[in-house]
Amino acid sequence: MIATWFGIVSFMLIAYVVLDGRNFGAGMLSWHVAKTSQERRQVIAAIGPLWSWHEVWLVGFGGTLVCVFPRLMASGFSGYYLALMLVLWGLILRGIALEVGGHINDRLWQGFWDFVFLFSNFLLAILFGAAAGNLERGVPLDAQGNFSMAFFTDFTPYGHVGLLDWYTVSVTAFIAVLLAAHGATYLVLKTEGPVHDRSARAANYLWAAVVPLFLAITAETWIVRPALFQSAAHKPLCWLGLLVIIGAAITLISGLARRHERRAFTGSNVLIAGVLGTGAVALYPVMLYSTLAPENSLTADAVASSQHSLLLASIWWPVAAVLAAIYFIFISRRYSGKASVRTDNQGFYD
Amino acid sequence: MNSNLSDPAFWSRLQFGFTLAYHYLFPQLTMGLGWFIVYWKWRALRTGDEKYNQAARFWAKIFGLNFAVGVVTGIPMEFQFGTNWAGFSKYAGGVIGQTLAMEGMFAFFLESAFVGALIWGEKRLGPRYHFLAAVAVATGSWLSGYFILVTNAFMQHPVGYEIQSNGTLGIQSLSAYLLNPWAWIQFSHNQMAALVTGSFVIAAMGAFYTLRGIHPTQARLYLNAGTLVGLVAALFVAFPTGDQQAKMVGRHQPVTLAAMEGKFEGGTDAGVAVIGQPNVAEKRLENPIEVPDALSFLAYGHFGSYVHGLDEYPEDTWPDNIELLYYSFHLMITLGTLFILLMGLAVFLNWCGRLQTTTPLLWVLMLAFPFPYIANILGWMTAELGRQPWLIYNLFRTRDGYSQVVSNGDTIFTLIGFTGLYFVLGLLFLFLVGREIRLGPDHEIVNSEAGASAPGKERAV
Repeated sequence: MIATWFGIVSFMLIAYVVLDGRNFGAGMLSWHVAKTSQERRQVIAAIGPLWSWHEVWLVGFGGTLVCVFPRLMASGFSGYYLALMLVLWGLILRGIALEVGGHINDRLWQGFWDFVFLFSNFLLAILFGAAAGNLERGVPLDAQGNFSMAFFTDFTPYGHVGLLDWYTVSVTAFIAVLLAAHGATYLVLKTEGPVHDRSARAANYLWAAVVPLFLAITAETWIVRPALFQSAAHKPLCWLGLLVIIGAAITLISGLARRHERRAFTGSNVLIAGVLGTGAVALYPVMLYSTLAPENSLTADAVASSQHSLLLASIWWPVAAVLAAIYFIFISRRYSGKASVRTDNQGFYD
Repeated sequence: MNSNLSDPAFWSRLQFGFTLAYHYLFPQLTMGLGWFIVYWKWRALRTGDEKYNQAARFWAKIFGLNFAVGVVTGIPMEFQFGTNWAGFSKYAGGVIGQTLAMEGMFAFFLESAFVGALIWGEKRLGPRYHFLAAVAVATGSWLSGYFILVTNAFMQHPVGYEIQSNGTLGIQSLSAYLLNPWAWIQFSHNQMAALVTGSFVIAAMGAFYTLRGIHPTQARLYLNAGTLVGLVAALFVAFPTGDQQAKMVGRHQPVTLAAMEGKFEGGTDAGVAVIGQPNVAEKRLENPIEVPDALSFLAYGHFGSYVHGLDEYPEDTWPDNIELLYYSFHLMITLGTLFILLMGLAVFLNWCGRLQTTTPLLWVLMLAFPFPYIANILGWMTAELGRQPWLIYNLFRTRDGYSQVVSNGDTIFTLIGFTGLYFVLGLLFLFLVGREIRLGPDHEIVNSEAGASAPGKERAV
């Protein structure tokens, strides 16, 4: 039961990264692939009316975490206090920039919000990247299962670590480039004209940059937490994950090479889900690793709610998830196709 | 509130209270407007009259701006359970997490999928689906309200839980927890109050356009709907929902009722103080003007009933800020009464066909819209200050709930950050809503995503 909930919670977080990651990526690239204010409107139209549905995965993840792993939520969120507040402020800025940027047809107004949008997406991609690095590396948990840490200490990933060190900075760079590549692949699918062409070029070199970064962080993870690989080697799911990653990479590369846009984007989605999913499986059953003493680590068993609470949640959760998927399919079908800059007086895009 | 500045619980409470009160300025209008939009969409479907579509479109734009600020200020609320209230999350997460998760899974996915389609997708969805999108968004916002009120009701009147071997709470009966009688009464009271906010805002817009002499058809529509729904909702807020709410507080939190009413000594034939200031240091109500026997009747249904006083309870179970609680409660009641009188008068004059020409009343309607917001926030202050010193009533104290690892400095820093950011958000919101009001309901371009591609296309028809 606890393993299942570990899976569900990881799934929700991964769904969030895959779905909102395309928006972060498109946002980070919004000045690179779109040169005029009008083209930047096109990028935002491509993100479309479902961005807040994407963001709900993060809210749903937070709520579910309180429900099934309350002690993890308590330790993790209070330990990352300032970093999480920055995430919240970034999300506020990003959401507002998306919603109000198009409200007034004025060069200065739109220019300002385009910049806020660019900035907040960079901030969020960096913070989520750092968070991913921290989950792999661990945090300085004490014997009570609490921690509180600085943004950085001595930049080594051992002992009294900070949010940033050489390892987590590498992971941050990897995640930021990965999400940018993901966003570019999405923009290729959803746009036409100059934005499409620039995004296609950006997708090629960003994916090319992902490969060495991926190899580098794999090697670094081997140095920082060798035990992770030993435990992964004994888990069939990790081998399955590896197959998924390879399959997704092939799909992606063939999609990029043959200009098959939907195939490339599918590959990109599965690839990110595969990398994060394999990482999550390798971490299990540890949810938060202690860099001070391994016995302080918080395991899924130690932080979970009662069996009864988990059982009740597993009755209603699938129902809600199916409903959420139905809404998503209904709306995405209505908004399928390319986002052009042609708009009527009511459509988000024509 | 115990304002000991070195007390971490104080700063976390201040931050939670401030961010929550600010956040709740937006969802109350979302919940209030949602069903008006559904109603106008439905009338448009049935009659084919374009004026209803125009009204729905105009209010959907206001709704959209309001919704956006509501969403971005709402996410910090959920995160603060972990960041600032780790002790509480650890202790009660297995219970309150159920509804926090349900809110995301059942309500937010529904709202967020359809809100974009409601505001921008009229053409893409077609009239029927667009009507359904309005229903989906309104339903989602009320569902979300219900899950949050179940969570709050558990903190006010815990039911359906069990204390586990490790000392934390687990859920014992999900149905008892979800159907907490406190939640039903509080939900009815709260939703009616949200409708009051919605109706006052709509009526104010109608009054504004009437006084200006512009958009006469739309103005009449807003005045009719706003005053009628406003009167009905304001009546429901007082009776039966508010009445039941107070009786429930009397049953389960008698010390809170005593503090709300400034009753330092218990007794039969208790009166309601219309005016008076509590003096907690000397344990008496200064210069009270009382309606005799009224409290006995209101709380227990008989004029002679015994009403408990604060003196019957140990001081460490008294709400820790009796003055603020007393003023919040009394001002809320006063405003609620004025709402009934104002809307009653407006509906009566409208029925006589004289509302359009009664300029002074139109002025009052136009300027009255901030007061339901104030009354709503006062209501929440009454509920939350009244719950003190407990985080979960009679189970878990507020001073045990905050995050031990977060320093005061960190919380003060983020509190200042939120204050600054929310100030800017507020200005932005007022500016954009003001702009929509100026452009008016017959403004053609719903979203100037279009404007970017066709400069100069903006026009007033």
